[in-house]
Amino acid sequence: MIREHHALDAILDPGGITPVYQPIVRLQPIGTKLASLECLSRGPKGSNFEAANVLFDYVRLKREETLVDRACIAAALASAPMSVRLALNVHASTLARDADFIPFLMETAKQNEIGVQSLTVEIVEHAPPWDGVGFLKALDRLRDLGICIALDDVGLGESNFKMMLDVRPDYLKVDRYFVDGCHEDRDRQAVLRMICDLAAHFEAEIVAEGVENEAVVETLTETGITLMQGYLFGRPLSAADAAALVHAAA
Amino acid sequence: MNMESRPRKVPKERLLIVDDEDLIVQAMRKYFEALGYQVDGAFELEEAQALLANYEYDLVIADLRLTGIGGVEGLQIVADVHQRCARTRVILLSAFGTPDIERESYNRGADAFLQKPKAMMEIARIAQSLLEQ
Repeated sequence: MIREHHALDAILDPGGITPVYQPIVRLQPIGTKLASLECLSRGPKGSNFEAANVLFDYVRLKREETLVDRACIAAALASAPMSVRLALNVHASTLARDADFIPFLMETAKQNEIGVQSLTVEIVEHAPPWDGVGFLKALDRLRDLGICIALDDVGLGESNFKMMLDVRPDYLKVDRYFVDGCHEDRDRQAVLRMICDLAAHFEAEIVAEGVENEAVVETLTETGITLMQGYLFGRPLSAADAAALVHAAA
Repeated sequence: MNMESRPRKVPKERLLIVDDEDLIVQAMRKYFEALGYQVDGAFELEEAQALLANYEYDLVIADLRLTGIGGVEGLQIVADVHQRCARTRVILLSAFGTPDIERESYNRGADAFLQKPKAMMEIARIAQSLLEQ
């Protein structure tokens, strides 16, 4: 029996995407404070696409980033907790190619009674080229709406200096590749310091991803980074658990 | 299935089965899991490529044709496997193999090219032999 449906159909079917929410915290003089939740996506249960990396590698190979970005955002905002900043992952190519993406984002937020000013769009990209002019126009429109912009995976792949200049992000998300083990690696510390200097120049904040132990926290803090994300502060949570976390943090 | 006649149980090695026919993937998965392998299944070229990008496999068993008439996606899988992990073994299966395609498969780095239909036990024997090399 030949499969009648490609995996993409299952991903795009209602319920195909399960949203989860990972806390991003700000270090305080004592303890931490919930700063935002990054909305992450898992593919259909029981499929290979439950693993986010497999899901998005597949989507990029199919060149269906736009459709899947929309599906992930619709699923995330439909279940997201209120009264907290929400970070949504969007491919740069989606912003460039999908002229209706921003109206879709506004409408989806409105339907779920979420103010767009509480949204951060995290730009991800793995496969150039795309329409640079359309992309820059979309960024301007997002800013006009009061939506913050973050650049994901800074230092890797397409999240390079050019992207930094083009996007001029409010947040630079430093990939775990540079964070993991930074407490015992002077080279990684040098890279982090350089990114901090760039962030200061762009008046952006840094979010360190993949923070998993206290020694790394100490090094990041000494470097001037206070926004952190990783298993040390919380794994991706179900919508119900994320709502409870937001409630407890209020 | 005659469990007694199967090859001996091997240590848990990771195997990827790629075929556009659901029943074939299911049957092969069941058979190889019973032999002690950890098995993933994929139904499309891009699904297989996404798995290969994220996991390291000891063996890939792929159908040559994944998209209907004339497809030779299995050759792309062989190329992808060898680009990512030289030690991964690849068996290509095809009901439509020609000498030219078989030659091309070996040129691209396939370790075995088998004509379909092929008994599961025979595929398992070849798989085990490749993994022991």
